[in-house]
Amino acid sequence: MTDISHASDVFTAGADALAEARRHQRIQQRRARISAILRYAILFGVGLVMLYPLIWLVGASLKTNAEIFANPGFIPREPTTEGYVQGWETSTPYTFGRFFWNSFLIILPKTIGTAISCTMVAYGFARFDFPLKKLLFTSVIAILLLPNVVTRIPQYILFRELGWLDSFLPLWVPSAMAGDAFFVFMLVQFLRAIPDDMEQAARVDGCNSWQTLLFVVVPMLAPALISVCLFQFMWTMNDFLGPLIYISSVDKYPVSLALKLSIDTTEAFEWNRILAMSVLTITPALAVFFMAQKYFIEGISAGGIKG
Amino acid sequence: MARLQLRNLEKVYGGAFKAVHGINLDVEEGEFMVLVGPSGCAKSTTLRMIAGLEEITAGEIRIGDRIVNTLEPGKRGIAMVFQNYALYPHMKVRTNLAFGLRIGGASKAEAAKAVEEVAKILEIEPLLDRLPKQLSGGQAQRVALGRALIKKPDVFLFDEPLSNLDAKLRASMRVRITDLHKRLKREGMASTVVYVTHDQTEAMTMGDRICVMKDGHIMQVATPKELYEQPANLFVAGFIGSPEMNVIEGHVDGSDFRTGGQVIPLGEALTSRLSARPERAALGIRPQHLALATGINGALSAQLRGVEFMGHEVYLHALLDGREVTTVASAAEFERMDRSLDTIRLLPEAANMHIFDRDSGRNVSLRAQG
Amino acid sequence: MTRTRSLGLIYLSPYILGLMAFTAIPFLASFYLSFTDYNLMQPPKWTGLENYIELFTSDRTFRRSLSVTLLYVFLTVPLKLAFALFIAYILNYKLRCINLFRTAFYVPSILGGSIAIAVLWRYIFATEGLVNMVLAWFGIEPVNWFGDPTNALFTITLLRCWQFGSAMVIFLAALQSIDKSLYEAAAIDGASKLRSFVFITIPLITPVIFFNLIMQMVQAFQEFNGPYIITQGGPLKSTYLLPLYIYDEAFKRFDMGYASAIAWVLFLIIMALTLVAFWSSKKWVFYAGDKRS
Repeated sequence: MTDISHASDVFTAGADALAEARRHQRIQQRRARISAILRYAILFGVGLVMLYPLIWLVGASLKTNAEIFANPGFIPREPTTEGYVQGWETSTPYTFGRFFWNSFLIILPKTIGTAISCTMVAYGFARFDFPLKKLLFTSVIAILLLPNVVTRIPQYILFRELGWLDSFLPLWVPSAMAGDAFFVFMLVQFLRAIPDDMEQAARVDGCNSWQTLLFVVVPMLAPALISVCLFQFMWTMNDFLGPLIYISSVDKYPVSLALKLSIDTTEAFEWNRILAMSVLTITPALAVFFMAQKYFIEGISAGGIKG
Repeated sequence: MARLQLRNLEKVYGGAFKAVHGINLDVEEGEFMVLVGPSGCAKSTTLRMIAGLEEITAGEIRIGDRIVNTLEPGKRGIAMVFQNYALYPHMKVRTNLAFGLRIGGASKAEAAKAVEEVAKILEIEPLLDRLPKQLSGGQAQRVALGRALIKKPDVFLFDEPLSNLDAKLRASMRVRITDLHKRLKREGMASTVVYVTHDQTEAMTMGDRICVMKDGHIMQVATPKELYEQPANLFVAGFIGSPEMNVIEGHVDGSDFRTGGQVIPLGEALTSRLSARPERAALGIRPQHLALATGINGALSAQLRGVEFMGHEVYLHALLDGREVTTVASAAEFERMDRSLDTIRLLPEAANMHIFDRDSGRNVSLRAQG
Repeated sequence: MTRTRSLGLIYLSPYILGLMAFTAIPFLASFYLSFTDYNLMQPPKWTGLENYIELFTSDRTFRRSLSVTLLYVFLTVPLKLAFALFIAYILNYKLRCINLFRTAFYVPSILGGSIAIAVLWRYIFATEGLVNMVLAWFGIEPVNWFGDPTNALFTITLLRCWQFGSAMVIFLAALQSIDKSLYEAAAIDGASKLRSFVFITIPLITPVIFFNLIMQMVQAFQEFNGPYIITQGGPLKSTYLLPLYIYDEAFKRFDMGYASAIAWVLFLIIMALTLVAFWSSKKWVFYAGDKRS
């Protein structure tokens, strides 16, 4: 037969078989739909339970103290900014504005220092060969896994000797010297995945390694660097133990210590102030996160898989 | 082994896009059927429907006596070789081979025995304790073959298995697969095979019969020889054969074919076979059947445009009344040609000419069924 | 390469300096300090193994802290990872709002370590707090979260598990990177969904499970903010994790030597468990190398 083949036997599959097939298809589709609904239900339920504390937090910060005790709902019946106003004033001579400023004074040099130093170091690891390279890279991984509880005490003693106690220096200088192994590792992995063709072209054009780094490599690293800065921003805002150990004057408190202070000094029932300030302290991190979501999640998954 | 039958098989995506249009196909027991066609012709979709990896919108698939539309892939009596091998990367070759059997309830001993048998047939015994990442492309493909073979399926499905291999390896694997099929047939173990490829060379050299597909339709199902000599339509004529068949537009006038300024006599045999004389027609003739003329008699003249030297043959590209034609000449003939002229004379072999209806694409000059 | 061998080292110089000053030397120093008595007023006085002996023989606080820490880690880490994997599995589907959910689950983990959240936790688990209010709604008696030793640890555990988002994102990426045709091959081999999950999915994500396991374990052992703010280590030291003990000894009582000793014990425990994990990983972690084709 050379034509399109057609049934050589009278094919009476019959209406029965066809109906059977259609019924089966409907069952399959229903099963798929139920599975999807189940998944949505679980995700939605878990999501709700997980996010409710945060939702409640925002709502509670706008309630009166009496109302906070009254109901678990998150919509204030008599919304008020009393918590924010009074919380901002704090019971110290300073407003929360001062504490935010202090946090900023830590974050700025820390982030910039991290970006610069980690870029240099990653560039060194990814593009150069030098004695002890393997050893040094192993040390990066070792620090990554190292519980830093073990170095904290001598670091304190060191900073004490340097006279850096009660200043911001101990909080950002180590990071400005590529002390955060996580970022070094992340940038190295990122850089290794990029071919060095353009850098070779730059060399042919007469650039030395420093110029290549500045004009060719850094632009390519931009997405990863943004991730690094975002992560560092968030982690620093949340940093508590560091400031706790090194900062003793209230006028230098960053927001994390200030919040702790307000718990200690606020009357037991004046929760709305504390909750209001809590909302304020997490807002920058949240805002930054939502604006740059892409960089966060990609950064963390890439690092995780390759790790 | 069992026969495979597709009846009015349809696949519609999202309620709107019809990818497969009610196709019908019979694959005999033990036959090696190749599905071939350009990308987008739905050959892979069809294969996946047979496998059960794709939902069937309408129609029926029968393997042996059973209608398998509603059965899980594991229960259809099929085995599949994937384009990217799909070997379980964390299992040794041995375990990869035995996986399906063990799921099906075979004991360790039974599975081990089957593994040994298959390994011997495919000559992969030294690879049994390796991991997939330690295998070369050809080795991995043989293991994938083994995984399919070991289940003794009713129908073997191949989804472009050789596309990831380099040309040389592809050629040797082609031979290996067809040899295997023949050998198993001799030993009474042959399986019905449905083999999907986009490469017409693979199709022509491997298939007992070939099913040419385009845009979800079957264009023709026939043996390689028939497809080559008796293409049912323009698409098949152009798809099969390399270099591509020459297609010259014109119309039939009496027993001649008129194109532009030239006239090609069709000869009695061809004229009497014509089932229609379409106004818009095309003459199809393969480059191998368009000879360099020695005289002027009945010959066409064309402007020589380019020459491709293939070693023992030469492809000559020319313009016949503005239309491109290609002819194949032996190196010797080419030497004898007067290459100072840019006009060449071509003589089409009447016995190998085809007339196509340009609108429907149908071949109106097919020989009667013998 | 016309580059000098030392050019790379120049780029590494900040790191090398920092490594020496802030990591390597402190590391060795803390080891030394653990054998001394040092209160910052006078130079350190060598006391040999005295600190360690006291730690293991007569220090009941240490024993309590150690057991509480171990309980916390072995409770929290598996729970957190299991939940992260579970949610990642559910998310790994052609659902429409997958990004929305992913973000929603991830948000707690960015905020989680912060004081604000610790503060929040303190209030929602208070006797008059949100959790008890919700329980009351279901007709359950209010639970004394912070007064009861077991409950208190549970609230800290819950805080950490609440932050499963970062682990989940990594799991999700791993699940999504598994070649679909493997599942098809398994279906043709006759494997059910469950079997596919156990024999194909899980083995292929073992590297990620391993990575998450180590990271989570190391972090859990160093938990400080939560217990410090929420329960202050109580009640009855039921949430007095080792980092809190170290902090108290070092920065409240300024007993640097003793604190260093505790720090070293904690460090050695973490290292030991990490090594066990690494050693055992050969048995159960599968690394997919590049396919040679």
